Formats: sequence, structure tokens, C-alpha cells
Amino acid sequence: MSFRFDRRSVLRGMLGGTAVYMGLPVLDVFLNGNGSAYANGAKLPVRFGTYFWGLGLTDTPTGGTRWVPTKTGPGYEIMPELESLSVVKDKVSVFSGFRAIADAKANQVHWSGHASILTGIAPASASRFDGPTFDTKIADAIGTSTRYKMIDVDASLSRHPVSYSTRTGTTFASPETTALGLYTRLFGPGFQDPNSDNWKPDPSIMLRQSVLSAVKDQRDALMAGVGRADQIKLDQYFNSVREMENQLAIQLQKPAKCEDCIVPAGPKEGPRSASVDVVNANTKTMAKLLAMGLICNQTRVFTFVHTAGSSETYVAGQSKIYHQITHDEPTDAQLGYQPQTSKIAGMVMQAFGDFLVEMNSIKEGDGTLLDHMLVMGFSDTGYAKIHSIENIPMFLAGGAGGKHRAGQHIHTTGESVTRVSLTAMQLVGAPVGEFGTGTMKTSRPITEVMA
Amino acid sequence: MHGIAAAAPVAVAQQTSPELKPIKVAFRRITESQYRHTIADVLGSEIQINARFEPEKRDEGLLAIGTPQLSLTSSGFEQYFALASSISEQALSGKKQAAVVGCKPADAAKADEACARQFIAKYGERLFRRPLTDIEIATRLKTASLGAQQSSDFYAGLKLALTSILVAPEFLFRVETAEPDPGNPQQYRLDGYTKASRIAFLLWDTSPDEELLAAARSGAMHTEAGLKEQLTRLISSPRYEQGARAFFTDMLQLDGFENVVKDPAIYPKFNQSIADGAMEQTLKTTIDLLITKKRDYRDLFTSNATFINRPLAAVYDVPFLSAGEWVPYTFSPSSERFGILTQISFLSLFSHPGTSSPTKRGIKVNEIFKCEPTPNPPADVDFSKVKDSTNGTIRGRLLDHMENAGCTVCHRRSDPPGLALEHFDGLGQLRTTENGVPIDVSADVAGVKVVGAQGLARFLHDDPKVPACLVRNVYAYGVGRKTGIREEDYLADQTKIFAGNGYRVPDLMVQIASSPEFFKVAVPSAARTAAVPSAAATTAVQQSARNQQGVNP
Repeated sequence: MSFRFDRRSVLRGMLGGTAVYMGLPVLDVFLNGNGSAYANGAKLPVRFGTYFWGLGLTDTPTGGTRWVPTKTGPGYEIMPELESLSVVKDKVSVFSGFRAIADAKANQVHWSGHASILTGIAPASASRFDGPTFDTKIADAIGTSTRYKMIDVDASLSRHPVSYSTRTGTTFASPETTALGLYTRLFGPGFQDPNSDNWKPDPSIMLRQSVLSAVKDQRDALMAGVGRADQIKLDQYFNSVREMENQLAIQLQKPAKCEDCIVPAGPKEGPRSASVDVVNANTKTMAKLLAMGLICNQTRVFTFVHTAGSSETYVAGQSKIYHQITHDEPTDAQLGYQPQTSKIAGMVMQAFGDFLVEMNSIKEGDGTLLDHMLVMGFSDTGYAKIHSIENIPMFLAGGAGGKHRAGQHIHTTGESVTRVSLTAMQLVGAPVGEFGTGTMKTSRPITEVMA
Repeated sequence: MHGIAAAAPVAVAQQTSPELKPIKVAFRRITESQYRHTIADVLGSEIQINARFEPEKRDEGLLAIGTPQLSLTSSGFEQYFALASSISEQALSGKKQAAVVGCKPADAAKADEACARQFIAKYGERLFRRPLTDIEIATRLKTASLGAQQSSDFYAGLKLALTSILVAPEFLFRVETAEPDPGNPQQYRLDGYTKASRIAFLLWDTSPDEELLAAARSGAMHTEAGLKEQLTRLISSPRYEQGARAFFTDMLQLDGFENVVKDPAIYPKFNQSIADGAMEQTLKTTIDLLITKKRDYRDLFTSNATFINRPLAAVYDVPFLSAGEWVPYTFSPSSERFGILTQISFLSLFSHPGTSSPTKRGIKVNEIFKCEPTPNPPADVDFSKVKDSTNGTIRGRLLDHMENAGCTVCHRRSDPPGLALEHFDGLGQLRTTENGVPIDVSADVAGVKVVGAQGLARFLHDDPKVPACLVRNVYAYGVGRKTGIREEDYLADQTKIFAGNGYRVPDLMVQIASSPEFFKVAVPSAARTAAVPSAAATTAVQQSARNQQGVNP
């Protein structure tokens, strides 16, 4: 074993894992010698993220839609619940009429919808997903040359941290839940300013690498006589060790210059309540930090939760939470929808609009950060009152480096949500040709939005 | 390298070797409190532990059942890695250094193999809960030696070696191992170290101490007398309280207080000190009644003796006259405050941010105390008949559910216990009206008419499902897995003994930990690439592949 970081030690680390291909882009960085694989002026990187909010949008069986535009193709009209997207509308595609198909399985409320979108598999129970989520596949493909393979954020300020990103189906990511936590992770200890003139490799990093080698050396002994479920768990554990090694290896490289990277000031501790105004403010603050983290090459992949499937958010002073209101509020006979629910849905969507505006307000190259990323926005249900998993609102936002023909409304009648997921994967260059199982299996991306 | 991985496929190919190979039956991620207790025991209670721990998972009512299903995410590993470095730094710096290390290097500026080996073997055994293999020691010796060279500091090398122990899966997971039973070589038994860990975590919520490890080493854990001696020692120790607290925190789901949310516009009295106090009140009450005074478990529902502090007194609306932090307090016999269900903890945890919730409370009464889970609601419930009620009481709205055939089955069971508790709002404050209308707290619980919190408490006190559920919870908590049909008779027998002993909780825990079933091996389904060791094990493997809770027959 050597304290020096060399090619052999990287190979050992990578080949010990399950998927060798995921190590290769890193190796390219190392072999490059000066760590400039993404700073050679050729091309700005494409980033990917998911943005989730709970309780869908309003589209009642009686026809009172508040979000599905009438016009399809480019130039769709802004519907009331999509008001917050109007500023960035030309960079956002709207997908309506897509559904999660549970086949013979029950609709697990506030679970089957996003489980289907993210894994392509209708889940058998509400306590786990039946496969890994596709964001991890994208991270394996495009996330290995940055300090973090991916960053998970939960802005909901709810009782338990929420993340829907998983490699095993049972262990979900532990997300950053406060702006301060996110700031510390991105710009706290271990952050290397790419624009600093006196960069020196930190010798303690090599010592920390040796700690991990001792752990990894025992992998085979530990794996012996292990059951199937535990093997999956241990694979994930060693995957986490490898990601840590990768982080350390990258910190030994001089970071490529990045003029757009301006280290933000540390945020103050905000109030902690699940009321929608506080959650939206938290979303905005965390979006701003995340955007700079992306610009500064700390990560290329993220998952962002605004509110959980069974959302706990509420309007301050109202005794019922939003979730209860979606179920209890009667449909107004004249309007054809639930007025209070629709109003709160608009507030919840305000945060998504704000999130995208933050991404769009940072200049990068000849465009904005949003032009060089793809964000898939989606929810757990369509019409929340009846836990519908039909017509789940889905969005693709951002230019994906010129690959996404944005600004369109795509409407189908009951096609699988996995088509949108597959489209997202292919737009950011994940090597995936087919996604989903059962009726949701698809190899057809939505080519109308692909340049 | 361990010989097992290479040997297993050969054994299968030949189909001749009748010998079972050791297997790992479970990887149970250690909880935050187990981590804290272990570090305090092994390296000193003054060590500061500042980290965000990975979220746990509750399954079938217990975190202890969910945790064995969990792995470690990359952000979680980052946290444990930083924490391990910080612990090593604290443990091996300053005045403590000499005492912790226990030997002196020949030259403090250089590597010293003998002293490093002694340190690694000693702390490795305490933290892995079993002796380290030669290779496990050798890899850490290498780390220590290179670290010492690089920094010209023997102790810097030890810090790295200790860090590598603290981030190893063998520390972060309780690796439960089974070996062939010498008395019956076709059967597995848990090895002595795994048995020692099971009772240490059950009774003390921490890793085995030196004495337990010695009992595992000598084989005493496999004898009835040896096991009994250890159980008696553990249950008589003051540290048993720490173990009992961990059990009741899990069972009563008090971890929910870490993130409880209330709307300050509706409950201005709620704040962090109320949340902390409410949790502590329930633990103090439970420990005092069941562990210190060794009273009948069922008295938990009916005893009006508790402890309060100043912030809680404001919510309970009772005077607090002491200068101390906590004082014993007994609610008057006529008070609606009666037993554990009327404490702020239960009432506020299982409510909405701005209202009470008879359904949530009822579901939790059934789940926590009777081990009766409520299925998820059907997906396509149409609530359109349900009127928006800003008037009247919540009972009316729930009655609408009761009229709906799809909802009735569950709501008829979940709502009544909650309706009996409706004199307490979403924070747990007493009230008798809602929207100006008097609240009716009568309810039909499983065919019995009860009135209010006292009525519900008396009903639960006499419900035979309640002690049976505790027995199941103690067992499942200790073994870390769901119970199934195979364990029904065993649990029924244990419940009879529990009743015969006057429903005393410490006796129950010892009784369960002394029973052979507590150490029964549940063979996991085989890994995809690993071979199955023997025909006898194959049968069990196939059975448990269909049913994760299947145990070795």
C-alpha cells in the first residue's frame, strides 16, 4: 500500500466494486494529469436533477383542470397552477396524461406514483421501492468526476428527512435538510476554491485514504457466508466507501479554474416549520446554494424534495394541513374543482418556479446554468383527492446543453410515466435504452423534445 | 484472507462435505444511541459526538426490526468518517492518551509495532465485539505504521488505525454469525460473541463489556449457567436503565420528537423544551414504574403518578412550585389525566400540526400497545360525501367515514380509542369543547363502551392483547426481526409466564433472553454468487427465501 495516490490504487478501488464502467470517467481525469478534463474549453458539463413535490396538481374527473394546457406542442398557454413557471416557460416542457401503471399490484397511496417514475417498477409495498432509482444510474454515468457523485436535498422541514433516491430500494439517501447543512457540505471543510492562486494538496488526505484501504481490504472476508439481502447492503456500503475515496482523490487534484464560481456567504439558520411560506423560502435559499455548488463543480447530479408524498405542509393558521384539505374539500359544483386545494397547489408550485428561476439567474458560458442542466419535476399523484396515479404532472426543465427542445406541452392519454423518465436519462447521456418492468417497460423516449 | 469464500463452492461441487461453514445471519446497523453508548463505554464518556446519524426505519412497529434492513448511504458514510476521525483525535490526544493506549512506544516519533498491535487488538475486540483476525490486525498495523512515519508521531498512526476500526462495517453493523453446533453438526447455532452482543444490546443498549467478551471466549455463553450468570449481572446493574430506556423509546416511538412540528399560530405554547420535556417525562414515568418499582406493566395505563418540569406544567396547567428541574407529580384521581396515553408525548406526537387526530391516535394505540397494525387506506377513496367541517366536532366528520363501506372496516377499529381521547387537543391540552360544541368522548372499543381517557385506560389495562404485545415487542426487539406464525406458540407461552410473574418487565426481559428461541438461527436466503453450504441448510434457505422471517427448524 502506498500513501501516494497512484493509478493502481484507483484501479483497486474501482475494480472492487460492482460496476467497473462507472470508474472509467474518473480514471480519465486522473490520467489527464492536470485534472482539467472538464475545463479544456471543449464543452460545459450537463447536470441532472429531480425536483419532487407532494400531492399533485388539480385535474378533476369532471374536467376542471387547473394545470393541463389546451394547446400542445410549443407555445402552450400558462394555466393557473403553472403561473410560477411563466418566466422560464420557454425552457420548460410540460407532460400531461402520463400514468403510473400498477398492473396487478395495489396503488400504494402517496408512494406508487413516484416509485414508478423513479424505478420503473410499481412497488409491492409502501415501505420500499422494488429497484434502484434512475437518478443513481445517471450519477454513475455523469457524476464521477466531481467531489460528490450526487447531492440530496430535502427542503420540506417535515418530521422526518425525506429522500426518494435509493440504490437498494430500502436504504434511502440521507438528505441535507437545512440551508446551513447544505452550505457546509458544499462549501465547508474540504471545499477547494477553484479560483485560489495558492492551491496545495492537503497531505492529510493521503492519510485518510490509507484508513479506507484498511477497511476495503477486508471486503472479501466480510462477504463470505453472507445472505442475499445483506450482500446488497454491503455492496452499497462499499459503494459509499468508494465514493469517499473518489472524493479524496479529487481533492488531491488541483481544481480546474472556474470563473463563474463565486463562493456564497454562509446562510443563517432559518425558522423550522412546515408551513408553505417557510418551506418555499427554504427551497429558494437551498436552490441558490445548490446552483452555486453545481457551477463550482461540487456535483453534477442532485435530488430535491420540496414536500413529501404525504405532504405535511400547511398554510400558517389553518388548522388542517394541505394533505387533509385535498381529501376533505368538496369540489365546487360551479367551478368544477376544489378552490382551496387549487390555491395551495399554486403556492406549492411557486417554489418550483422559484427554483428554476434561481438556476436560470446564474450566467454560465453564453447562457445560464439552467441551459446546461435538466431538471425533472414531478409529483406522487395526479388528482390528490382520490390518490389518482393517472395524469401525474411531470416537467422537464432546462436545455440539457442543447439536447432538450424545451417549451413544449406533450399530451398523451394514459401512456406510462417511464417514457418521461427514459427521455430524461437519454437527454443527459445516461447509457440506458430501456426502462421499467411490466406494462411500464418502455424503450420509447419522447422524441418530440429531443434535439 | 478468510478461507470461507474459496472453500464454499468446492464443498458444493463435491456434495461430500457434511460440514457446515460459518454464516453471517444478520447485519444490524447500530443505532445512534448504541453508537453513543459504545463509544462512551470503550473510549470515555467525555468524548463529544457531533454528527448527523443516518435516519432509521420503523417496520412492524419497531426501529429494531427496520434497522437490520438498512445500509449506509454515501453521505452517511461521510458523516461516520468525519465522526470517526474526531473521536480518534479526542481519544488519543492530551491527558487521556497514555491511559487509553496502555503501553508506551520505544520512540514516540516512530512506529512501534508491539504497542500498536496491543492497542489495535484491544480496541478492535471491544468495537468489533469479537477478537480481530490476524489479517484485520495486520492491515491496521500497516496503516498505523505508515501514519507514524508520515507524521513522525506514533500516536498519529494509532489515530488512523482507530479511525479505520470506527468506519469498518464490523463496527457500524452488528454482524451476527452462526457456526455449526458441535452437539448437532447439521444445525447452526449463534456463536458466543453474537449471543453476548444480543444480551448486551437488549439489556444495556451497548456493545458487550470485557466480562461478556470473556464469557464468549470461554464458551460460557453456550451453557445455561454461564448465560444465567451474565443475565443476572446485566439486569442488576444500574446500566439496565439505559437499556430499558432504549427499548421504550423505540416501542413508544418517541424518536418522533426529534422532528415534531406544530403550528405556532395554533399552539403558541409549543417549543423545543416542551418536545424534549414531554419525551423525558414519559421515559421517567415508565422507568420509575416498571424498572425501579417493578410494578405491573398494565399499571402504565392507569397510574396517575408521573414527573413534570416547569415547561410541561404550563401545558398541563398545574402549578410548579419546586426550584428543581423535575419533580414527582400525581394527578388527582378525578383528573382526566390518567396513565401514559394522557401524557403530552402520546397526545402531541400522534396529532396534526394544527389539530388533534382521533384516527392517528387510535391507530397508534392499536399498533404500539396491541401490535395491531392498520392497513393503508384504499387508494381510490372518494371523500366527496365528506363535508368540510369548520363547525362542530371532528366526530361528525369521522362518522361520515363510518358510513362509507370502504372505510368502515379500519375506521371502526382505529377511531374509537382516539375519540375517547378527544378532550385533549393536538398539543395535549385539556379542553371540553371544539368550535363551541361540547365534545363527546364516549366510544365503542371492540364492542365495549368506554367513556373518556379513564375509560380507555381501564379497558387497555384489562385487554389480554396488551401484555402479549409487549412480549412480542421485547422478543422482536432483541432478535431484530419480524415474528411469524412459527413463533406464536412460543410467544403465547412466554406471555403466560409473564402473567404468572405479575407482569414485571425486568423478569420478562431475562426470561426471554434465557429461552433457546432467543438465539435461534434464522438462515438468510443465499447470496447470488455464494454457494449453499449443505443440504440441511438448503432446506432452510428455500423456506426463508419465501418468508424472510422463517427460522431454522
